[in-house]
This record gives sequence, structure tokens and C-alpha cells, in this order.
Amino acid sequence: MYLLRRAWAELRDEVLALPSRTLVLAWVVALLALPAVYGDPYVMRILTMSCLFAIFAASWDLLAGYTGQVNFGHALFFGAGAYTSALVSLKLGVTPWASVFAGAAMATLCGFLAGYLCLRLRGSYLSLATLAFPLIALGLLFAFPDFSGGELGISGLRRLTPSATGNYYVAAVSMLLVVFGLWRLADSRFGLVLHAIRDDEVAARASGINTPRYKLLAFAVSAAAAGFAGALFAHYLRVAGPSTLEVALSFQVVIWGIFGGVATIYGPVAAVFILYPLTEWLGSFRAFGELRLLIFAVIVLLVLLFMPRGLAPWLRDKIETQCPRCKQRNTFYRKICRLCGAALQAQVPGAQRLVGHQ
Amino acid sequence: MLRSALLAVTLALAAPIAAAQGTVRIAILGPMAFVQGENHWAGAEMARDEINKAGGINVGGRRMQVELIRADTNEIQSVPDATNAIERVITRDKADFLIGGFRSEAVLAMQEVAMDYKKIFLGAGAAHSKLGLNVEQNYERYKYWFRVTPVKDVDLARTLFAVLNSIGSQIRTDLKTDAPKVAILAEKAVWTEALVAAAQKNLPAMKMEVVGTWQPSATATDVTAELSAIDRSGAQIVFTMLSGPVGISVGRQMGERNMKAVAWGINVEGQKEEFWQAAAGKAQFVSTLDTYSEVEMTPKTIPFVRAFKERFKKAPTYNAATYDAIMILKAAIEQAGSTAADKLVPVIEKMEHVGTAGTDTWDKRHDLVWAVGRTAGIAVQWQDGKKVPFWPPDVKGMQPFKMPKQ
Repeated sequence: MYLLRRAWAELRDEVLALPSRTLVLAWVVALLALPAVYGDPYVMRILTMSCLFAIFAASWDLLAGYTGQVNFGHALFFGAGAYTSALVSLKLGVTPWASVFAGAAMATLCGFLAGYLCLRLRGSYLSLATLAFPLIALGLLFAFPDFSGGELGISGLRRLTPSATGNYYVAAVSMLLVVFGLWRLADSRFGLVLHAIRDDEVAARASGINTPRYKLLAFAVSAAAAGFAGALFAHYLRVAGPSTLEVALSFQVVIWGIFGGVATIYGPVAAVFILYPLTEWLGSFRAFGELRLLIFAVIVLLVLLFMPRGLAPWLRDKIETQCPRCKQRNTFYRKICRLCGAALQAQVPGAQRLVGHQ
Repeated sequence: MLRSALLAVTLALAAPIAAAQGTVRIAILGPMAFVQGENHWAGAEMARDEINKAGGINVGGRRMQVELIRADTNEIQSVPDATNAIERVITRDKADFLIGGFRSEAVLAMQEVAMDYKKIFLGAGAAHSKLGLNVEQNYERYKYWFRVTPVKDVDLARTLFAVLNSIGSQIRTDLKTDAPKVAILAEKAVWTEALVAAAQKNLPAMKMEVVGTWQPSATATDVTAELSAIDRSGAQIVFTMLSGPVGISVGRQMGERNMKAVAWGINVEGQKEEFWQAAAGKAQFVSTLDTYSEVEMTPKTIPFVRAFKERFKKAPTYNAATYDAIMILKAAIEQAGSTAADKLVPVIEKMEHVGTAGTDTWDKRHDLVWAVGRTAGIAVQWQDGKKVPFWPPDVKGMQPFKMPKQ
């Protein structure tokens, strides 16, 4: 009873007190309850895909948003995970439950390697160099078609579970765990160091931070998550093909990241859950379904024009204000901070815009 | 007033139900923003209108209309989009049958979804052998897949070599040489690798001499270097494997250089009506593999091609064999008296269908049985601005293959 009361108090004070956390809670509950309430297989497929791409987008954010290593070739890790898991499961007969971790491990290795090769590069030079990696991987795959299946890829993979609902839960639970893990990581001391590296690498080094080590770690962790997503994707579609390494996928993740808001982890996840179903929904209209990519581009442009920091930070600033004294967040309609009691509204006219922003 | 309003409402509510009971719903899956999807859809529309005008499909005594569902798979750009599209037409639009597909990787993924739901899926675009191999390896799961067009990749190569052989014998008699010289001109791409290797191996056995292999980029706009080397090698045949715009450059520059060699092979650009214009009218005697032309492959070919050209102001490509796919379904449904997939599979397996692109029968992989004059396709040559069919020579309407002046 005490525990229950304690849990409720935690929930009330830590989650329900803030609209953004309430939203996330509602989203998690909805995600987990969906198959029981509305078991439409098409909707479940779209959401399964969204979950897998959400892991992918969040992993990009850790590397590009937090660490500032803007990766234009993130599909390398996705593809490495997909192909490794496919090969391990098909050629060695390992169960997909184990092979997805092999995929993630291989992606981690690729992350280390890519990170190592790019250690001395910064900014646009780094982005351009990373762009090349998936292309090199594609070239290698095509060079050994007997091993990689060439243009067709590796097909006939086993699913993790036979039912659509099972696959949905595998994707949803994996996504929640990985994204929550990444978010905690980004919020920890490790995340703080990554922030420091992005904002001023020289200053970070001067403070005694071993920046190459942290950058390599960021590459590896991000790659592991992306590889895990790729492996799940391959077993879900039952094909691991060259499309998992395509440039289009690398750019897609950049769009998700920037649309949702970089350096937030939850932003890119929100972006995937908005944009992926949206493009599908647009495609279901006969009249303009085939123009969906154009409409998609217009929506993304408008959002970036009016919300330059991305959708999630914009929304968060609308529904919450930050206490100028203790830096804690409060619901937008509160006059005084829920924790320290400081006034949230500016006392001096015209100073409002200085309050409530990071 | 009230009564008529009520009646109208009742009728309006009842109409879709009645219509839904009386239709066979066929989903056409293709990259609708591209020429492949356009042809998928156009061929299917022709079949639908023809069947519905004649009263529909006779399902065990009941007349059912054909209803098409247009599904843009966007598969050239995204494989997941294709699987989403096929799931949507099966579960949302309640499609009874699935026809289409183009990119092999996407079709493999779509095949899995279709087989999960035990829906008949007639392939009309992807050539990879693996699709049929699945049927052989796991019949119970994959038996609902059949390939209607094109023949599988291995058989496409057989057609290429069969035509090459016939051009070779013409050169032997015309030029009085024993071993015609062949230059292989393949674009640098994954799909050509197996073909190039096969050509290098098979041609000596066919008593032809390979003088060299040249591999320009698929988007090259200038192939002077390759062509002058081919000229110097004294080649009589340029064996092409070109899918990209380089096909236009090859056609134009061979004409500009007055080359004595003749081009035969795959030249996807050369299959298009606009090729002659694009190659500045210089692509005389360029020849390529093709599917549709106004020749009597079957009695249905010429009427279909003419009707298609009249309606869409364009000649059909091989993807328009969705027409044949729907006709195959119609024949199978009428024979089985049912639309149940499990009853239709054995009927299609035993069927011999005279379609517009050829006469189709299926092997144990549910692949088309390859045979010259039946499913092997045709070869065409550009002669004075017209695409002239010349192979297989014994089909009615074929014209002679011509060589440049020596």
C-alpha cells in the first residue's frame, strides 16, 4: 500500500505535473495498448516501422545532436546491423533473437571504425566523409554477390515472432527501452561531456576531457542502437537488401532529426511518429497520393521555417516555462515555480522573452 | 417527399454493399510515378474495361465485375513503402488478388506479405530467379506466387544468346566468315556482371570470337573512346547490355561514326518510342530485346497493341502484361467456379494461357516455361525511324534483320 501511494505521488509530482511528461506517458500507454484496442494489421505495420525508425532516428541524434558529429552516412550502421543479423541467422542457423545482437555488435564495430577514421575531421568535412561510408559498404556488397546476395540482398529470413502483434510488441518494447536508455545516457554526465564537445571541443580538452575517447564512444553507442534497429528491420521485412544502405535512408534520418529537434532524443522520435504515418496517410489518397513526397517536403519546410529549433522544443516551450531561478520546468499557466516558488512571469514589461527560454 | 428521401438513403446505403458482393477486387501494385507503374496500370485498365463491358467474370454462374485498386508502391525509392502498400490493399482495401511489382528486392519483401495472407500474387515486372526458387523450396507457403512477365533472369539471357546466334549465322553467310567478331559493351552495373561472364564463356562455344569487353557508365554521354576501340578491333556485332541513358549515346555515336558493326542486346532506351528522336535519328540498325510489337505472337497481340496505342498514345512496355495477368485470373476463376486462392492455384498450374505477350505455361517454380515463339519475347531493330520486329523469324509479321553497309 505504501509503495502504491509512493508510486502515485511520484507519478503526480514528477510526471503529471508537466504536460510534456504527461504527453509521453499517454503516448507510451497508447503504444502498448493499441493492439488490444485496435488491432488493424495495416496500422500495426506502420507503427512497427515507425518504432524501428524511431530507434534509428534517436541513435542519429545522440551522435549528431549531442556530440555535433553530423553523420550523413548513418545508414551504414543500419545496413551493417541488417546484413550481419541476416547472415548470422541464415548461414549459421542462429535464432534471430540472438542474431539481432550480433548485428548490433557488428554495427558497433563499424561505429568505432568510422569514428576512428573521422576523428580529425570536423563540421562539413566530417559529414562529407561519413557520406562515403555506406557507399563503400554498398560497393563491397556488390563486389561479393555470392556472399551478400548482390542487388537482391539476403532473403528468406525468419521473423522474431510469427504473429503481427508479436512483432509489433517486439518493436515497440525495444524502441521504448533503447530510446529511454539513450535519453538517460544523454542526460547523464556522459551526455554533458558530449554537449561540451559539440559546443567547444578545445575548451573540453582543456578541461581534461579525453575528447577522442568520448567521440569514439558516442559513435559506437549510436551505431549499436542503429544496428539493432537495422537488424530488427531485416527480420521484420524478412529481407536485408541494399536499400538498407541507401543514401536516401541516411538523409531521411537527418530530416527526422532536424524536424523533431536535435539534441533532445525525444524530438527525432516524435518526428518519426508524425512523419512516417503522415506520408503513408497522404499516399492513401487517390487524387494526390503520388504527390506525397512533394507535400511531405512542403510540410517539413514550413515546420523548419516557423520552428527553427524543431517541432519538439517549440512545442515544449509553448506548454512549459523554465523557472529563471532553479531552472526547473513548469506548466505554462503557472505564475510561480512549483519547486522554488520564484515568479515565472517577468516583472519588467518587455523582458518576457528573456524568461522561459533555455 | 419523406418516403422518397428514405428510399434514396436506403438505396445509397445498399448500393456499395451490393457492388461489393458483385466485384472481384484486384490490386495493381507498381511504382505509379514511373513508367513501369504507368504501364502496370494501363494494361490493367484495358483488361478491366474489356471484361466489365462483356458482363464481368462468371464465378460459378454469378457475374462479377472487376474492380481495380491502384496502389503506389514507390518501390524504386523505398522498399518499406512497398510492403506498407501491399499490406494496405490486403487488409484495408480487401483486395482478392495482387498483380504487379518491379524491383526484385521490393517484390521479395512484398511476396512475404502476400504469402502471409495466402493471396494470389501475379508478378508483372521482377525477373530475379529467387522469387520462383521460393516456390520450389517451400511450396506450401509460396504456391500463391506466379510470374506472368518477364521470364526469369536466366531465361532472358537465353533469349539474348538465341538471337545473337541467329544474327551470327546471318553474318556468317553475308560476310563469309567463320567466326563473327563480337565486342561486349555492358554498362558498369551489378546486373550486367553475370551476363558479361556468361557471354565471355558462351560465345567461343557458339563459334564467335570475343574481341573485348567495354564497360562505360550507365549515364555516360560520350562513348567515343569505347566505340573507336571497338572499331579498331574489327568487331561485327556489338553485344549491348545497357539500361541507362548511355543506350542513347551508343545509338547516336555508332550512327555518327558510320560503324560497320551492328548493335544487338539489351538497350532499355532503345525499347522506347522516343529513342529515334533522342538519338538524333542516327541510331540506324540498333537492335534490342522487347516484348510488344505489331506482330502475331498470338492472335491477341496485334489487337491489344493497337488498342493500347490508340488509348494511351504510347506503345505498351512489358509491364503492361498486367492485362494478361487479369485475363489469366479470369480464366482460372471461371474454370474453378470460385475466387478461393487454394482452388485457383492448381488451375493456373495446369493452364495454358494464350495472352497478348505470348503463350504462357508454368513450371514447378511457377515461372514461365521459356520457349522461342511462346514466352521468349521478341527482338526489334530500328530501321529508318521505325522499330521493326525481326525475331523469332517464323512468327507472322517479322521483317528481315539488316546490317550496315560494309
